[in-house]
Amino acid sequence: MIGYMRKIIIICLLLLTFSSGFSQTEKLIVPSDLKQQTIVTEPVTLRKGFLRTGILIDYRVADRFFNKAGDKEYYRTSSWGSKTAYGITIQYGITDRFQLELITEYLNTLQEAQNTEIDAITNESVISVSKQKGLGIGDSHIALEYQFVPEKEKKSSLTGRLKLTVPTGNKNPTNIKSENQYDLPVGDGTYAIGFSLSARKVLYPYSFSGLAAYTYNFKGSKIFNTVDLIEREFRFGNFFETGFTGNLHLNEWIVFGNKIYYYHEGQGEIENNPSQLMPASWALSYEPGLIFQVHRFRLGESVRIPVLGKNVPADPLFLIMAQYIF
Amino acid sequence: MKSVYFIILAILVSVSSITDLNCQSFGTSGDKYDLLTRPYNKRPMTLFRGQLQGNAGYKFAVRSQMFNSDGDLIFLKNNGTGSVYHYYFLRVRYGLTNFLEFGAETNFLRRGIRDATVTVVSTTLTSTDRITVNKLTESKGMGDIFLFTTLRLPVEYRWFDLAIRGGMFMPSAKYETQKPTNTVTTSLTTSDSYTVDLHYNLKNGYGVPVYLVAAASKLSVGRFTTEAEWSMRTPMKEGKNINWEETLAEKVFSYYDKSYSYLLSNTYNLDISLHYQATGWFNLYLNGSSFRTKGGWTEYWGNKYENPEKRLINIEPGFELQISPSLTVYQIAGFPVKGRNCDAPFYLFTTISYNLFPFLK
Repeated sequence: MIGYMRKIIIICLLLLTFSSGFSQTEKLIVPSDLKQQTIVTEPVTLRKGFLRTGILIDYRVADRFFNKAGDKEYYRTSSWGSKTAYGITIQYGITDRFQLELITEYLNTLQEAQNTEIDAITNESVISVSKQKGLGIGDSHIALEYQFVPEKEKKSSLTGRLKLTVPTGNKNPTNIKSENQYDLPVGDGTYAIGFSLSARKVLYPYSFSGLAAYTYNFKGSKIFNTVDLIEREFRFGNFFETGFTGNLHLNEWIVFGNKIYYYHEGQGEIENNPSQLMPASWALSYEPGLIFQVHRFRLGESVRIPVLGKNVPADPLFLIMAQYIF
Repeated sequence: MKSVYFIILAILVSVSSITDLNCQSFGTSGDKYDLLTRPYNKRPMTLFRGQLQGNAGYKFAVRSQMFNSDGDLIFLKNNGTGSVYHYYFLRVRYGLTNFLEFGAETNFLRRGIRDATVTVVSTTLTSTDRITVNKLTESKGMGDIFLFTTLRLPVEYRWFDLAIRGGMFMPSAKYETQKPTNTVTTSLTTSDSYTVDLHYNLKNGYGVPVYLVAAASKLSVGRFTTEAEWSMRTPMKEGKNINWEETLAEKVFSYYDKSYSYLLSNTYNLDISLHYQATGWFNLYLNGSSFRTKGGWTEYWGNKYENPEKRLINIEPGFELQISPSLTVYQIAGFPVKGRNCDAPFYLFTTISYNLFPFLK
């Protein structure tokens, strides 16, 4: 009888052991899981103690632009330009609602042009070629982000962001050999401060967010003319941007991102006079993209397509992003 | 002893129940889910019966170099004549049976090619007059509609497949060259100095029906697959197009058009690719692509001149990523290796493919 009871108990214990496979259980969230959340499911700011590093590469060529009338046209003279920026970001969660972000970039810009000049009297021709390169560390940014209203179920979050731009990039042309032969500056040469407010709502598998930001540019001085080499005081126009984002989970780890983005930059000034070198400009763009979350890695690629604009490039901007959270 | 058997039996029953729940299960062979998620190395070269596939793609090419007639690489960006190429395409395929499919395809392209700017300077004792000439040749428009059918071996795909494809590009595009939109801009500082912007407007499309024949094979060994496809395009007949000429008098352009004949070159393509099926939803591959044109002529001022022979070999690493049973993304990057008389752009080609069985529940 005792042996029989023992068997019954053993069987019951075994069944109990495996019964957890059938029963409904509450998933235990551990930090490693939290670090694998996608851009849809993760909070707007990093959690306390989390550290994320990333690289953002953007590439654009100069083929077409929106003119001052807002029409899209090709650059007419024989010239070619390209710009690649390698951005490096470090984000750290000071608290669950407060995040610090450091951003800097390495720039590779290229401008090449050729003009053949023929003398009508002597019939002699002179080909002038200009090749300008800009290589080096660009400007850097420090950003503080705080969730005024944290995201909770059925509620939207409201986040403020304060960004300070520090002119760490070389602001003046260097290695000047002639009017057309020199190395391009890789920095703007001015401090700037910006504030933005963004709201987000998650309705899994979707997330929607809206943003409005304003950046004030301080005065600076730099060389505008490679002949006289005089540093002149200038100020970029202030910068307003707004955007709407709608992200969608295609499966558990791939997100299809959609962003509509608008910005307006005011007229710039040189020595307190409006300058044709820095006209007022604006652009409305659409940016589709795919973001892959592979454990703690996040990889993304997107393309920003200018749809409408004035005094801005009209070529698509290609973006590739890689991030890792520690 | 009996009790031991009893306990082992209980464990087996319990474990088997659990494993039923937790192990990865495959769909029943032939069901909709199974067919839509069939990885590349286990998929035949045509669609399954009743399968409908829609593809939308975008190719962005940077034309910063070209191969000249000697096969030497010329860096166009050095003289400011680099350009970009935007190509959009749409393709629909439908599997009539498990070994026969039909499809249709079209495209839209946009590109603008700049020539080197030339300035003519005339200096007198009293003034210096400058005439600057910029030239842009823009190509823009919808391409022809390509209708095709593909036939493969009428057996279930296991490790080898063979297919042939035939089709025709219907001359549906508005291919005739449009009138140039040249402009003259007078200098604000010197009345006799001005800039001439020549802007030629070309369209897309062959202008005549063009046949395509192709043959392809596929061989899978485990996770590795190799695929090869050869294709040829040849025009049905000679075509006619318009050549625009212009004269400039008193800073005003006048145009007249002149008809000319042409015979398109035959085009030969050979693609050989090696694929690696990393997981069920991710396929990585390397493609070698060879393009060649031969024959054909174009009439200039009443004389027929043979079209220059073009050759180009590209290396194309790429991937296929299945996002969901219906949605797949393909992306390749193209790097020119060798060529002759041909542009040598670097390009990125991204395609989104949507698959469904509209008549299967």
